[in-house]
Amino acid sequence: MTSPSLMAHKTGPTVQRRDVLRRAWYNFSRNRLSVVGLVIVLLVVLLAVIGPYIAPYPGHAKAFVDFRNSNQRPSVRHWFGTDYIGRDILSRILFALRSALLMGVLVLAIAVPVGVVSGVVAGYLRGSLAEMVIMRVTDIFLAIPAMVLALAIASVLAPNLRNAMLAVTVMWWPWYTRLVYGLASSLRNEYFVRAAELTGASAGHIMFREILPNCLAPIMTKITLDMAWVIMIGASLSFVGLGEQPPIPSLGNMVSDGAKYMPDQWWMTVFPAIAIMLIVLPFNLLGDGIRDLFAMGEER
Amino acid sequence: MSRSWSARMGKIALTSTAFVLILTLVSTGCTPAPPPKPVERMLRVTAANVPKIDPAIGSDGAAAMGQLNLYDTLVFPNPDGSVRQHLATKWDVSADGLVWEFTLRQGVKFHNGKELTAEDVAFSMDRLLKVGRGWAYLFKGRVNKSEAVSKYVVRFTLTKPFGPFLSTLVRLYVMSKDDVMAHLVKPGAYDDFGDYGTAWLQANDGGSGPYKVKEVKQGEYVLVEQFKDYWNGFKSNSPTSLKIIGTTEPVTVRTLMSRRELEISDSYQSIEALKALGEIPGATVALLPAATMNDLMLNTKKPPTDCLYFRKALAYAVDYATLVQQISPGTPAPIGLVSSAIAGHNPNVEQPTYDLAKAMEYLKKSKYYGKLDKYPVELAWVAEVPDREKIALLVQASCTQLGITINVVRVPWVSLVDKCARPDTTPHGNIVSMSPDYPEAGAHMYARWHSSGAGTWLQMDWLQDKEFDAAIEDALSTIDWGQRLEKYKPLQVRLMEIQPAITLMQGLTRMAYQSNYVVWPAAEAAKNKQPVTVLMGYSMYARDIEVYPEKMPK
Repeated sequence: MTSPSLMAHKTGPTVQRRDVLRRAWYNFSRNRLSVVGLVIVLLVVLLAVIGPYIAPYPGHAKAFVDFRNSNQRPSVRHWFGTDYIGRDILSRILFALRSALLMGVLVLAIAVPVGVVSGVVAGYLRGSLAEMVIMRVTDIFLAIPAMVLALAIASVLAPNLRNAMLAVTVMWWPWYTRLVYGLASSLRNEYFVRAAELTGASAGHIMFREILPNCLAPIMTKITLDMAWVIMIGASLSFVGLGEQPPIPSLGNMVSDGAKYMPDQWWMTVFPAIAIMLIVLPFNLLGDGIRDLFAMGEER
Repeated sequence: MSRSWSARMGKIALTSTAFVLILTLVSTGCTPAPPPKPVERMLRVTAANVPKIDPAIGSDGAAAMGQLNLYDTLVFPNPDGSVRQHLATKWDVSADGLVWEFTLRQGVKFHNGKELTAEDVAFSMDRLLKVGRGWAYLFKGRVNKSEAVSKYVVRFTLTKPFGPFLSTLVRLYVMSKDDVMAHLVKPGAYDDFGDYGTAWLQANDGGSGPYKVKEVKQGEYVLVEQFKDYWNGFKSNSPTSLKIIGTTEPVTVRTLMSRRELEISDSYQSIEALKALGEIPGATVALLPAATMNDLMLNTKKPPTDCLYFRKALAYAVDYATLVQQISPGTPAPIGLVSSAIAGHNPNVEQPTYDLAKAMEYLKKSKYYGKLDKYPVELAWVAEVPDREKIALLVQASCTQLGITINVVRVPWVSLVDKCARPDTTPHGNIVSMSPDYPEAGAHMYARWHSSGAGTWLQMDWLQDKEFDAAIEDALSTIDWGQRLEKYKPLQVRLMEIQPAITLMQGLTRMAYQSNYVVWPAAEAAKNKQPVTVLMGYSMYARDIEVYPEKMPK
């Protein structure tokens, strides 16, 4: 294998691997914003995991009403205030972080493998019937604006998180197919692929053991950047009522509900909106860092 | 001598007069004093939309508000639900209840200057029925013939006896036949009558009401001004013009209100928005009784709400006190499924209370008990009315304690209307408010549960009970007012037994108004616990309202 990417070094001795990792961290940490992004991402993930245990009012994320305490401003008792039916906003945000991250992880966990496999197959088998079918279907999906497609799918299905994820997944895989198809199409003419073919390697081996590892750098970068986008699209669907349904909290829904009470009860909208920003922005920063990291690796 | 003296005296008098005259002219700037400028007393209100002012086209709250100020009706509603003379000075009904004759007031002028006659009244009814929209549904299938017996006597012949016919006439807005006939657009959908004047009447009126159209700006507002020759006159401070602005956007309403560019707000503001409006100096939030009922309609054709015991359990799982104290403070608690603000209401019905133990008792009798997880209840609330989400979440919180899964779903109004066309697509529970067309219990019950209305948003409970249909038809065909009201009462008891719906709250209209310079009789009466006309739109009869611009804070 003659991979030029960092991934190709994984087979080296332990010392060499440690050296590579140290160098990678050095490259990554040169971009301070990426480090900030990484720290915030880790913090958000940590909060999503332990959120239900540290939420001051965990019951407020379930079917709960307390109209006597509705519309309370931020205070010592309710740091982020309460909403229009008396639920603690901080507690609901901590619970909503889970579904937001779950959305990003699960959508990409499905969309990336589907997109990558179909892209590699279409790219390597260029000129075949398989390529034509895969790429035309991909083109059809890409021809429809992503948000419109997601809205159409989500509105036809029952509104809940699962169907919202399904809608976003359906609109997301073609981007990976298109990306990997381009990479695989060029890599199939490289010498290391030709060499593998001459040694009698199977098509599966060439696609998934020779070509795919060399596509990982851009895929990883795109995944990190897409994480933020998927969460944003999920929040958008939830904003229009096509995501999590009450009483389960979701950030988009909280922003949407709170907007009706602006500007007097600003805390209902502002804190969930900040939470969305705190997820989306660091993933973007992290994505930039990872892109730089792989770019440096390739230059090297 | 005497002549020369008198001539001298004459000269002196003339000179003196001229001097005084010159002095007066100089002191007054040499110009005569201008006539006093009429004070502009404008009444500006917001509404859910720009009113459709043609009575054969519009029939919502905004339309009613516009139409009742532009047109006159034969009778006018009283706060107690009865009607009084208006265009009609007397009326008679035949013994079989089929023929109604009305004698008209003489000398009433339309805005075009012509006198209102029986021919105009008959024409207005014919046009309404032919166009078939707006308020036509109140008369369709009931009025067989309209004719002018003489210049001032009009006769309506009904297809079958209909007791509340007189009450429904508060929605027969009389228009000038000449005006309409002069503005027909041909060809149109109505044969010889072309478009029946529908295009012209979008931005003009053919009425005799206290106000006449000055300007209609589509999508923005309707501006009407006083009709100086109105037969019933005006109060000295009645608004000189009325502007109905089609917006309910909270920030816009608040801005207009605080800049004194809005006198009365719409009734669609949330509790939070109304609180902010009430904090504007000089503004007050008026609480007007309404015949509206906020119902949780239960789909009786779909499991698990097809089970009576399940519906009963839901009825006892609603926290009525929180509804009327916290969610909608000041709203009257429900007593039965018909508003206590209208005639024929029966206060002696078994009204469920918030009692989870009793709810559980009923739930255990239900055939769905033990498998509740397989029967989640879809509870829909109208997306355009944010306060209803609070109600849905309250019901959800209570039902969760009983083990009932409630899926709260926000549905845009248009989608909900589509969904309720079939029982299988109608959600299990639907939070909707409904106002009767005339202030009688029969109006509410017929619209809500008579099978003829199945498949419309008014009947998302799909009762379709033939016994009930026959009983309400019998009550409505009773001409005698008192007897008719009595016949409504057992029907309300029956409804509470079969529980096709749960009344969450009775109606209460909340509107902010500039109480420091507007005297609004409906708000004053409500404040003093006096009866108020609950018929949709009638609290905004501008002629009764007084505006004092000089008291407006600078």
